[in-house]
Amino acid sequence: MNDRVSAQTRRTFLASSGLGLGMTALGTLLAREGRAGTFSPSDIGGTLAALHHAPKAKRVIFLYMSGGPSHLETFDYKPKLASMDGQPMPDSFTAGQPIAQLQGQELKVLGPRFKFKRCGQSGQEIADILPYTQKMADEICIVRSMHTTQINHDPAHTVMNTGTSISGRPSMGSWINYGLGSECDNLPGFVVMTSIAGRNPQPIASRQWHSGFLPGKYQGVEFRSPGDPIHFVKNPDGITDERQRDLVETVKQLDEIRQRSLRNPEIQTRIAQYELAFRMQTSVPELMDFSGEPKNVLDLYGVEKPDGSFAANCLMARRLAERGVRFIQLYHRDWDHHGDLVHYMNICGKATDRPAWALVNDLKNRGMLNDTLVIWGGEFGRTPMFQGKGKDPGRDHHIQGFSIWMAGGGLKPGITYGGTDELGYKAVEKPVHVHDLHATILHQLGIDHERLTYRYQGRDFRLTDVEGNVVEEIIG
Amino acid sequence: MSLNSGDGMVKIAAKSLILLVGTLASASLSAGEVLSFNRDVRPILSDRCFACHGPDSGKREADLRLDRRENAIASAIIPGDPESSELIHRIRSSDAEKMMPPADSHKLRLTDEQVAVMERWIKEGARYEPHWSFIPPRRSAVPESSGIDARDPIDAYIGFRQTERGIGFHREADPGTLARRISFDLVGLPPEPFEVDRFERSERPDRLERWADELLGSPAFGERLTSYWFDLVRFADTVGYHGDQEHAISPYRDYVLDALNANMPFDQFTREQLAGDLLPKASVDQKIATAYNRVLQTSHEGGVQPKEYLLKYAADRVRNLSSVWLGLTMGCAECHDHKFDDLTQKDFYQLAAFFADIEEKGDFAGAGNVTPTRRDPEIVVLSRTDREMISQKNDQFDALQSRLTQLLGAFASNDWSELSKKNGEILELRRRMVHLHEEIVRVSKNKTRVMVTASRARRPVRILSRGDWMDESGPMVEPAIPAAFRSMKDPLGSDGTRLDLANWLSSPTNPLTSRVLVNRLWYLFYGAGLAKNLEDVGSQGDRPTHPELLDALSLDLMESGWDIKGIIRRLVNSTTYRQSSLPTKEAIRIDPNNELWTRQGRSRRPAEMIRDAALATSGLLVREIGGRSVRPYQPAGYYAHLNFPQRQYVEDTGPYLFRRSIYTHWQRQYLHPMLKAFDAPSREECTAQRQPSNTPAASLVLLNDPEFVEAARFFGLRVIREGPANDAQRLAWMVRQAFGRSFDEDELTLLIEYVARNRASFREELESARKLVRIGRAPSPADIDDVEWATWTAVARVLFNLDEMITRY
Repeated sequence: MNDRVSAQTRRTFLASSGLGLGMTALGTLLAREGRAGTFSPSDIGGTLAALHHAPKAKRVIFLYMSGGPSHLETFDYKPKLASMDGQPMPDSFTAGQPIAQLQGQELKVLGPRFKFKRCGQSGQEIADILPYTQKMADEICIVRSMHTTQINHDPAHTVMNTGTSISGRPSMGSWINYGLGSECDNLPGFVVMTSIAGRNPQPIASRQWHSGFLPGKYQGVEFRSPGDPIHFVKNPDGITDERQRDLVETVKQLDEIRQRSLRNPEIQTRIAQYELAFRMQTSVPELMDFSGEPKNVLDLYGVEKPDGSFAANCLMARRLAERGVRFIQLYHRDWDHHGDLVHYMNICGKATDRPAWALVNDLKNRGMLNDTLVIWGGEFGRTPMFQGKGKDPGRDHHIQGFSIWMAGGGLKPGITYGGTDELGYKAVEKPVHVHDLHATILHQLGIDHERLTYRYQGRDFRLTDVEGNVVEEIIG
Repeated sequence: MSLNSGDGMVKIAAKSLILLVGTLASASLSAGEVLSFNRDVRPILSDRCFACHGPDSGKREADLRLDRRENAIASAIIPGDPESSELIHRIRSSDAEKMMPPADSHKLRLTDEQVAVMERWIKEGARYEPHWSFIPPRRSAVPESSGIDARDPIDAYIGFRQTERGIGFHREADPGTLARRISFDLVGLPPEPFEVDRFERSERPDRLERWADELLGSPAFGERLTSYWFDLVRFADTVGYHGDQEHAISPYRDYVLDALNANMPFDQFTREQLAGDLLPKASVDQKIATAYNRVLQTSHEGGVQPKEYLLKYAADRVRNLSSVWLGLTMGCAECHDHKFDDLTQKDFYQLAAFFADIEEKGDFAGAGNVTPTRRDPEIVVLSRTDREMISQKNDQFDALQSRLTQLLGAFASNDWSELSKKNGEILELRRRMVHLHEEIVRVSKNKTRVMVTASRARRPVRILSRGDWMDESGPMVEPAIPAAFRSMKDPLGSDGTRLDLANWLSSPTNPLTSRVLVNRLWYLFYGAGLAKNLEDVGSQGDRPTHPELLDALSLDLMESGWDIKGIIRRLVNSTTYRQSSLPTKEAIRIDPNNELWTRQGRSRRPAEMIRDAALATSGLLVREIGGRSVRPYQPAGYYAHLNFPQRQYVEDTGPYLFRRSIYTHWQRQYLHPMLKAFDAPSREECTAQRQPSNTPAASLVLLNDPEFVEAARFFGLRVIREGPANDAQRLAWMVRQAFGRSFDEDELTLLIEYVARNRASFREELESARKLVRIGRAPSPADIDDVEWATWTAVARVLFNLDEMITRY
């Protein structure tokens, strides 16, 4: 009986302290309480008392191809587009549709710029620009019928991350940590990294990983590399770890003395945060050090050290996933190909194709792909129409149909779901809106998207607003 | 009646029993008590029923509307007869087909108590009341009190309710705590130690009133209140969307600072910001004020469709207006009628129509990928201080010129002896005139651009189905205030301008503006609102703990001619304000959520106050008022993800590094990491209440941010130079400087050992001491021993990391 009480107290304390226990510690704790195996988010700082159903995934790695990769040169092969190359785009497709940079211009069809191949046992169609992705065709689930609502980058990112273009709403990584808590005791539960290589990179706002109206402890933390990965994670010049430890300890003791007369429960939480901050200061350098990785793993990704490349970020993502980070998002910022599409897609392909393949394989080799959901995709796709910004052809922003792929996390591997019309303009077969994607991601994590809510300004908000259907057919 | 309370005898005689009714927001209903629709019934209906059976005509199920009596009693409710009322059957039912709310709504079922309330309400006739904030405030009799320590009617209202519950005012906070509280509350800075001394020693009964007046008269008061106003109106230095370029806005900050310091009546403050350009003979300041209409988020991304963005901007303005002045959440009505409040989609577009005359062409002109961007119309202005300085110098110049003319008159008379005597003075006059001329030319160059509002022919506004900007089938609308308020005397002119809107906002028949403002001021000085939800006073918001008090203060504010400083003076002089924040056992038992205000609120201080306090204590703070935004230290590369154009953060130098945080450059997409770690909002949308978090990121700022380390080393320097000689005395001096208190023995023992450890350790590693005391750009004196300096810097770091640094008590 006494044990139960103290476990409860411990949990309450952990829940209020922003970051939960580490995996091992939690395992021990639960084993001691005889309840190992029944994962309860509220034990580790999440808001849900229990999961809504058995989860298939514990964490998400979102490879965010920022700028909007062309679906027509990656996963959505349209022979008709090739045969109509250079001809006027039929009005029937575009009349009354929103258009971005092509406003007021004559609209012409642009045929696919890369060849496609049927790949693997599954025979999925993937363009030659992504040779490594072709190799893992049997591992991935391709969705060719995505659509969204915003045609400019910034609001479209905001829709992809928060479900609406209105600022101030929480991003999906924040929602997930709010619901599930963190499995990590010395790192944030939501980590973001970015890379560039290709056309002039699109800006990306920290709004995309903000916690909005959810408590600040759920917001994404950007790890930067090279340089200090987290703001102010290094001791000031002249301060050794020993002196820093002494400082933190002295602050703690003084706060405890004051606590006797002030009786403010926040002080206790604060002391815990200092402990965590100090732990973070020591764990981050270890995290950023690849020297413990075997050569074959470094070779798989083609990296040597954290150098800010997408490849290095992919390896970091695996290291973060191993340490219990719940939501990891890697932005590659150069997929906005209004012109010189072939040239820039080659650069982006080189930078991202092999690392994504390496990550999926690495996770698989470690048995982690089962409970890690990997997502590859951008905020929108690109027009079937030609855009002439540059020496060679490009494509404009496009929201009516685009492609993503997912792997692991309990989804069916080696399948293609949904489709666009014959010119790749509009998702016509089994359309999947961003809300549906969100509902599906949450579902794989054991969350009913309609029941993860937060009351703000008098209303129960959720990631999927009042929309969203789980895409049942892609679930394994 | 007289009652005892745990904290000394507090007596109150209350005759105004009417207060008993409708004030026990959280208490459960007892049999003898009169049931109140707004207190007891509306919250249940609103939270569980209105989403499908409420104001939103688009989503209304079974054509049943429960927010209006005439509709409700037509089918679901039979007044006087709960057993025959379908509503009662449905909320009692567990039949999946019949039960309400239905399972797929994910709304909680009604508890037995709630069902009982509904039954009783129907039995008693199912009487409705308009929502409390939608009817004008009413004046009730101030509870008459004797024996209670009532300095202000505020205390009579609060004390009466406390007495009723068998508790009284808490003791007054100790003078040191009170001094810190009022200083941070009114000027956002810690008190000077001499101010604390003076306050503690004063035996005047009005010592707090006198000091409050002094603080209210200080220019720093404007800085403190401006910071809050800026959260509301989402003031920022950058456009927010896509490239997040800078826009021209700084003079608007000076305008708000000046207006609040001059105690401009709030109705005028409202008129000038919304419609200064429409005022007759608008002054430069009134034009600058209209930057309010332009400081929303805009996008300068290539390929934006003007029509789509005009709608985004219109919606942004309606959301902000309704949040700032009305305390309502109108954002949802862009696509559909409000789910809980009597606000329609038409209301939304009619409000938007007030702003449809704002010239926005500049926002779509394609300024190119440059920062600062141009968002015409902009005007070029001098700050008020510069304008005053130039006018002063012009006067001086004129005076010198007439003296010179007089002297030169001697030339005409050929009085050479007189002239040679005056030669020196003539030269001196010329020298001074040249100097003045140069000064005027120099100050005139300080001109800055600022976006302003210009009026053009109103763009047509139509209701957009589901907010779809491409759907042009909806009906056109004209500017109008929301229909729910239109039955009142309507001051709108026939053409419905922004000025009409502003006049309506501050008209005595508007039930919201004054209540919303008073509620937020109460929050600033008591740690929570009288109505807890500061962002929503609609149906889903919280009922005030003391509705009569909120109404009384709202009426007082309006009747005083919207005298902001006047109402604040009352808020900080009351007995309620002076109470200790330390909860007693009795208070926790009787008043766990502090709804009876039996103690002061405790809260994490806003980010700005934390940084400013460190700078003030270190002696580095620069107290100049007004001017351009500044760039304090920031980690390198933080803006790496900004583009169009790419951004390099160029830190300021000299005094600009140490100005108050209200001047810190506010980059919407990448808010300064210190401000962000301590929960300052990005200012994309209106924020009435910041959500404090308690995270490792905030700890890392206080531990390692060079700004705080530098402040610590200058605080260390101060104790060496200004403080006493021995370690214990120095420690006492520092805690007095930093927190206006003294250490107890345990604390002192701990720190004396800490000092010794650090001194020994730095002595062994001179190089590390040298490095530590050179962090930051403020010039270091050469005559200080590095080991001593590093040691006292280490102590200052401890103080800056204590809970007292960030918490209001």
